[in-house]
Amino acid sequence: MMKMILSLAAGTILSSAAFAADAKRGQELFMKAGCYQCHGTVGQGANTGPRLGPEPLALESFISFVRNAASTNMPPYSAKILSDAEMADIHTYLASVPKPPARKDIPLLNSK
Amino acid sequence: MGKPENGVNRRNFLTVAAASGAAAVTAPTGSNEAKAVPSVARIAPPSAAEMEAEIGEARLLPAAVTSVGPNARPGSDFMVDVLRALDIEYVATNPASSCRGLHESINNYAMNKKPELLTATHEEIATAMAHGYAKVSNRPMGLLFHGTVGIQHATMAFYNAWADRAPMLIMSGNHLDAAHRPPGVPTTHAAQDPLALIRDFTKWDDQPQSLQACAEALFRAHKITMTPPYGPVAISLDAHLQEGFTENDLKIPKMTRVSAPSADMDALKEVARMLVDAQNPVIVVDRGARSHRFQPLLVELAQLLGAPVVDQLGRQNFPSRHPLNATDRARGVIGSADVILGLELADFWGIVNSYSDVAQPKQGRRLKDSVKLVSINSRDVFMKANYQDFQRFQDVDLALAADAEASLPGLIEMVKTASTPEHKAAAEKRTAAAGAAAAKNLEKLLSEDAVYGWDASPISTARLSAELWAAIKEHDWALVSRDARLSNWPHRMWNFDKHYHFIGDSGGAGQGYGLGAAVGAALAHREHKRLVVNVQGDGDMMYGPGGIWTAAHHNIPLLTVMHNNRAYHQEIMHVQRVGNWRDRGLGRANIGTTLEKPHINFAMMAKSMGVEGIGPIGDPKELAPALKRAVQIAKAGEPVLVDVLTQPR
Repeated sequence: MMKMILSLAAGTILSSAAFAADAKRGQELFMKAGCYQCHGTVGQGANTGPRLGPEPLALESFISFVRNAASTNMPPYSAKILSDAEMADIHTYLASVPKPPARKDIPLLNSK
Repeated sequence: MGKPENGVNRRNFLTVAAASGAAAVTAPTGSNEAKAVPSVARIAPPSAAEMEAEIGEARLLPAAVTSVGPNARPGSDFMVDVLRALDIEYVATNPASSCRGLHESINNYAMNKKPELLTATHEEIATAMAHGYAKVSNRPMGLLFHGTVGIQHATMAFYNAWADRAPMLIMSGNHLDAAHRPPGVPTTHAAQDPLALIRDFTKWDDQPQSLQACAEALFRAHKITMTPPYGPVAISLDAHLQEGFTENDLKIPKMTRVSAPSADMDALKEVARMLVDAQNPVIVVDRGARSHRFQPLLVELAQLLGAPVVDQLGRQNFPSRHPLNATDRARGVIGSADVILGLELADFWGIVNSYSDVAQPKQGRRLKDSVKLVSINSRDVFMKANYQDFQRFQDVDLALAADAEASLPGLIEMVKTASTPEHKAAAEKRTAAAGAAAAKNLEKLLSEDAVYGWDASPISTARLSAELWAAIKEHDWALVSRDARLSNWPHRMWNFDKHYHFIGDSGGAGQGYGLGAAVGAALAHREHKRLVVNVQGDGDMMYGPGGIWTAAHHNIPLLTVMHNNRAYHQEIMHVQRVGNWRDRGLGRANIGTTLEKPHINFAMMAKSMGVEGIGPIGDPKELAPALKRAVQIAKAGEPVLVDVLTQPR
């Protein structure tokens, strides 16, 4: 039941929040909320947290995971800490991160 | 002041004794340097008039220093002979009055050569130096500290060494005799049982009361520290023994060769049978390698069994690019194992169970129900009760209380004997499968993980590791810092295949280990002219930055690359986590956890201590030329520091 409520709420909010999301504001929130501490400043991932961008999970799944992350070592973020609108901004920021160069174009990653 | 006797009065005692000396010469035992050793001034005791003029109404104390016969020699000269007989190459110290006798003997009797004094700006740094040195050289460094305050300064570093099983010979001064010791500070620094403070995390300690007992205590201490499991040992050298004189014919014991405890052959035979018959044997290793002998042995065993190896990286145990190296796939291979052999594991429970650090912690078992667990661990031979570095109890099917390195040859022979052609074929098949999985995993890491954030600023740990590898790989190199804080990229990208390529981490996770251990390790590498790399956390650096000066002062070549994320990063994550659990937000997680406002300029810090400092560097494009220049400096025999602004992990 709880899942259903969350899903419905996310679906309702997302359609409007996604349009309003501002990647720059999302980046500021990403830093302010400390997401970068585990996932890196461009969401590249580390041994403390997986890669998040530039192709993040679908927004609904993204919010659901962050709200209900208790099954992992990640601390859950309630709406009091990050609203759905703010989460949408962060999502937009992660989606806006430029794609990295391919490995074949990075000589350092092709040498022995 | 009264008339000087024998041309020497009390006021110029120190000057004359240091400059010329006279009398009581005994050649260092086993030394060919006797002619170079200045003799010791035999100073007549001050007259009553002199004493009165100097300190008022006085009475002479019957101290040993005044009883000098024609064949007398300082007690601390004899201590030097003992240290030489023990082949102690270096003694790291922060100078202390309670150690002045031995300090002076090393300077003027040993001529600061074997042992050579290393000047550290804090006892914790000196101890970390001994820690790093031991893991490269496989021999103990001596430490010489004040009995109370010096030992207190060094205590955390001793705990690191204890938890990491590093040998070292701690020596401290004391003034036990209340009737004769100087008042004031020396008495404040005296203690009845000065080593009680560290007894829970040293293997043995003693406070000998004669020079003969002192020699025997130092030899016993050396034997104990070098018997696996290695660990620190401590001897309190009372000032009256150091500063007194002896005419006795003292005996220096002969060096004891130590045989490490190896496993019972019947037990090894049983282990071999379990491993050979397993469908999915897995080896997990932590502090396995004590010396260069371990890695080839583990490679042979793993290949005989076709067993993936999960390296906890407590030491350089297994080649990073070997097809059976499954460190990056640990959870999968452990979960599918039917027999797990644990070698010198610090935490077997943590390897086969999970623990989620959430508001209501969760625990789980990672294993199949039918799995058999076998442990070979020297820590089972020697353990203490108070501090919990022995970790949670893990029940196993067979525990061999023995040193893994000493036990592997026997186990390998047993595996060879037990293996049939069918077993060998199955092992080859497993090896091929593991190699394919490792290659696939590496491809994913480099193509899908390393490239993200490649051009980011602050610089990604993958980029830093790749740039660093490019700068050092053509040299004979060694990494003397842990790479977990770089998201393990060095062990994923670099070719760790020599025993000296890596030395693990602090053991006790006490901050302040990094730079000191790197300096000590670099000292041990110096004679081999290796390019030594220390990737240094900024938080850890600030505990003991004086290590920079020690490296410069003693001409120890070392390339330090700052992993400068401007925070106690792990602690930020902890505060964040609790703030989220309590739904109180994250806006203040930086309070008490960050190193900002102002930023620390580590390049300037290095320069202030006579070391070339480069940076800070935040643009990844500037990294390659900076590292190239730094490598040139280190290869020329000097320490150098590159300050790199990095991603958190």
